Amino acid sequence: MTLLSLRNVDAYYGRAQILHDVSVEIAAGERVAILGRNGVGKTTIVNACLGVASVHRGQIAFGGRAVSTIRHFTAARAGIAVVPQGRRIVPGLTVKENLLLGGAVNRKGAWTIDTVFELFPMLRERTEMAGTALSGGQQQMLAIGRALMANPDLLVLDEPSEGLAPVIVDGLADTLRDLAASGTAILLIEQNFGLVHRVAERYYLLSKGAIVETGWLAGLSMETLKKHVAV
Amino acid sequence: MRLWEETDDGAPGTVPEATTERRRYRGPPRRAAAPMLIQTLNGLVYGGLLYVLAVGLVLIFGLRRVVNFAHGSLYMVGAYVGYTVTAVAGFWVGIVVAVLVLTGIGVILDRLVFRPLQDEDPIVTMLVTFGLLLVLEDAVRTIWGKDFLTVQPPPLLAGVVHLTGTSFPVYRLAVIGAAILVAIGLSLWLRMSRVGLYVRASSVDPLTTGMQGVDTEFLSATVVAIGSGLAGLSGTISAPLVALSPSMGGSILIDSFVVVVTGGLGSFTGAFIAAMLIGQVHNLGVVFVPGAASMIPLVLMVLVLIWRPGGLVKAGA
Repeated sequence: MTLLSLRNVDAYYGRAQILHDVSVEIAAGERVAILGRNGVGKTTIVNACLGVASVHRGQIAFGGRAVSTIRHFTAARAGIAVVPQGRRIVPGLTVKENLLLGGAVNRKGAWTIDTVFELFPMLRERTEMAGTALSGGQQQMLAIGRALMANPDLLVLDEPSEGLAPVIVDGLADTLRDLAASGTAILLIEQNFGLVHRVAERYYLLSKGAIVETGWLAGLSMETLKKHVAV
Repeated sequence: MRLWEETDDGAPGTVPEATTERRRYRGPPRRAAAPMLIQTLNGLVYGGLLYVLAVGLVLIFGLRRVVNFAHGSLYMVGAYVGYTVTAVAGFWVGIVVAVLVLTGIGVILDRLVFRPLQDEDPIVTMLVTFGLLLVLEDAVRTIWGKDFLTVQPPPLLAGVVHLTGTSFPVYRLAVIGAAILVAIGLSLWLRMSRVGLYVRASSVDPLTTGMQGVDTEFLSATVVAIGSGLAGLSGTISAPLVALSPSMGGSILIDSFVVVVTGGLGSFTGAFIAAMLIGQVHNLGVVFVPGAASMIPLVLMVLVLIWRPGGLVKAGA
């Protein structure tokens, strides 16, 4: 079953066109990466799915159903949870409240606040702390935990390794592989190829707002990688 | 709040029983010698009214990012609706009907004004809401006339209580109680309920809140309705304390904005602290420096902003 598909999408911020004829498809249980340098439009793909960037041409479908008007909550209600770039931990809310916010969509599944605490025990020790007072790595755990609270079919992570120490990125890769093994599809939007290599099985390569290459990660040449991604 | 400043003892209101009794037993009015407790209570009354009005502004600003100049008019319309319904069905029914009517007006306002204009330049929304203020004032003038109107407190709350040798109207104590109930109710709602959590989250980061599956549009509309209902409540409960006039919303609106800015834009806790502070300084100003009373809250706001440019409490707290 296709969880998310973008077909020939042109996306804009105001009058500025960012995405050109972008087509991406992720099926249940897949681990897919969107690779590209800074500023090529990777985050705009997420923003188009959240109704932040406006889609002037093409079609976006959640769970196989095309959506004509995308609102911020549309993707979440279709089982797609986003760990946004910069984590976007909500100021003024505690760790626990940030997690409860993630459960707003009220989808049934294995993830509850207790199972999130089992995955990230350090969050349990800091439930009443302000989410924004956590370290970068801890905030990333909180952002992932918040997304898992929605019991998503597809977890979209936008630059999750940004600003994290290598040892934390290693732990993140293990967590994402475990999540994928439990059946959650992963869409990893990243320029850290080390993380992509450990998590994803399929890739889309984005350059200047357009998909320039797609395929299995095992077949991605170093030459292409050097040309389009900082390694 | 004209009568507030014109009463002999600096206290808000025109409760006849209280005035008569005070004159009979306590001698002539003694503005400077009025007991501090009474002045503090009067400050709490005004602070309470300001809080109930300003917290609606905070809610609306937090979710819609709209500086609503029409909020004072909603307060005024609430008072007039309360006046009319009270005359027909009694004070308590008047409160309920006024809150419901203003909640409905809030829904319409959100649908027709705030929502369509939310992506426009803030100055556009400010001008539109200022225009609404003028329209509502004229509408009230047309319906109820321009003469001052008065509302008597309900018989249950019409008496006075004796505090440290002086009397104080029960109704004003009830207003303080109502403000405390609103503060506790809002605080419990915001802190303990799921919807309250979404409101707090959306007031600081609507995109992230929406990304979690919350319909922030519906949430914002609900909050605008609640904020407008609170303006109606504030107008109705203030009706027995002031003379109703179409321009009554203007002066309290300025103090409400002072509360919102001093408390910290979008901060519910800040609004409470600031309302109580401004209630006190306003009232003390009326008693001790009546000529400069209306300036004192503004001076306090400037001092607070010099000390803490973001206001007393950061949004979200």
